[in-house]
Amino acid sequence: MKVLTVSDTSKYIPDILGFISTLGEEVESIDLVTNVDVGKGFDKIYKVKYVSGELVLKLVRKFGDGYDLYIGPHTKKSLESLSYLAGGLDIPVISEVIGYSEGKLIRNILSGRGTVKYPYLKPMALTISPGRFSGARDVEGEVIEVDLEPEVKVVESLEKVRGGVDIEDAEIVIGVGRGFKEKDDLNMAFELANVLGGEVGCSRPIAADYGWLDEDRWIGISGKKIRGKLYIAIGISGAPQHIMAANDVKTIVAVNKDKNAPIFQYSDYGVVADLYQFIPVLIERLKSRIKV
Amino acid sequence: MDVGVLVKAALDVNVLRSDPTGRVAVENIPLVISEYDRNAIYEAVKIRDNTGGGKVYVYSVLTWGPMERKLKDFENVIREALALGGDEAYVVADRSINYSEPRYTARVLEYLIRSKGNPKLVLTGEASTDMTSATLSPYLAARLGYNIVSFAKKIEVGNGYLTVLRDADDRLERVRVSLPAIVSVTGEINSPRLPTLIQIRRAFRKPLEKYSLADIGLKPFLSRYEGYQVVTIKRKNIFIEEDSLEKAADKLIDYLVEEGVVKI
Repeated sequence: MKVLTVSDTSKYIPDILGFISTLGEEVESIDLVTNVDVGKGFDKIYKVKYVSGELVLKLVRKFGDGYDLYIGPHTKKSLESLSYLAGGLDIPVISEVIGYSEGKLIRNILSGRGTVKYPYLKPMALTISPGRFSGARDVEGEVIEVDLEPEVKVVESLEKVRGGVDIEDAEIVIGVGRGFKEKDDLNMAFELANVLGGEVGCSRPIAADYGWLDEDRWIGISGKKIRGKLYIAIGISGAPQHIMAANDVKTIVAVNKDKNAPIFQYSDYGVVADLYQFIPVLIERLKSRIKV
Repeated sequence: MDVGVLVKAALDVNVLRSDPTGRVAVENIPLVISEYDRNAIYEAVKIRDNTGGGKVYVYSVLTWGPMERKLKDFENVIREALALGGDEAYVVADRSINYSEPRYTARVLEYLIRSKGNPKLVLTGEASTDMTSATLSPYLAARLGYNIVSFAKKIEVGNGYLTVLRDADDRLERVRVSLPAIVSVTGEINSPRLPTLIQIRRAFRKPLEKYSLADIGLKPFLSRYEGYQVVTIKRKNIFIEEDSLEKAADKLIDYLVEEGVVKI
């Protein structure tokens, strides 16, 4: 099997290599198209100025479309590029694959409330959901500089305003939602996170509408997906997009004053209470019980 | 300028229905307009009005069956798209594309775009709310030979080109692309208002043309998606009910220690 990986980041390379070995097939070569340094694992590395679909398609056409599998992480640009490539080659594309079993690829649908299968075919294009596969490959390939100009011209690249947090890799996340009436009240959640050694995340309105927290704390399909051991959702009603992004967490706790809030259906432990009364008590009890 | 919008009648994720075997009972789940497609329509209307007029074409394919049971919801979604400011709608509903997949849906949309209005700018939501694959717009762009920019947070229209602020995960990029192009938009690009009663009434007088696959000369497709299963939620759903907040807090802490997620 010959594989072409398309990635705009080095972060999920182990995920991709891990997924490929899960297929259990003899791998002849794994090439890569990227704009970053990724280190080991690939036979040929095509270094491009920008990861875009039309550029990858041009490359594939130039070097012959003899690949059996086109694959990348489920990042926005790899997804866009691989989907465009699939359209250009007229092959199927399946995004955000979470598993592989008996010749079938598995992905989530309906905001994580359902799954669907699709046969693993050759050739096809895939993006792989992060944090589910891991592997490495001891190959130090040659780097080929590609001098193609992308159709998409970057006028400006802006760092997202970020607090330097990585809730995706955090073991404990405290989520805040519209139950908080003012920005300053979020301090309670930060204190709780501090006591438990976690990070603070939030629902969509807190980041996108109110701008109280940076986008890198937004838990949702369009934001970050968390997969640690504990998530405490405070004052969050539980929109499907939010719940889907927290589904992989081991234990979920919900605190909400509305007993009928959907979040309780997706929680292991629920406390029906006014967060303004309950959270200070919880912090106080934790402080007195946690041995320093 | 003319702007096309791709609209999906998506399974309502808030009304999940399943049968006793755990299969998603797609036939019993209502269809609603895919959330971010509203943003796409709203943006298309804005662009049309800011560029001296033109038309907003709504394109859609019914991708869920059985057709007889979904047709009414599908038409309601298209009427909603027209009420939100679309001018004309061209749609395909056919028994043989019940349970479509993006690869096939793209073929139908490709035909509709080329033959019904042929707009040089096409917008859609960043992903559908039911399947969330986000693969359709780039796939279609490649077929049409259009440029693609996905996850747009802002669109400015120039003469024959666009400047788009796009989400690129860890950063934002302002990019410039020439038309023709497909742009997928995020939920943050604008805040669509609900259509007024007058807009809803007017929508019923706007052209809505519905075709079968035979009408547009395409062969039936067979989706390879299979095994739609409900995820069994393994959550414990334990409500902590104590007579004081202190007791409730202690009980919660006990549970979390038992789970091994908090150490005391």
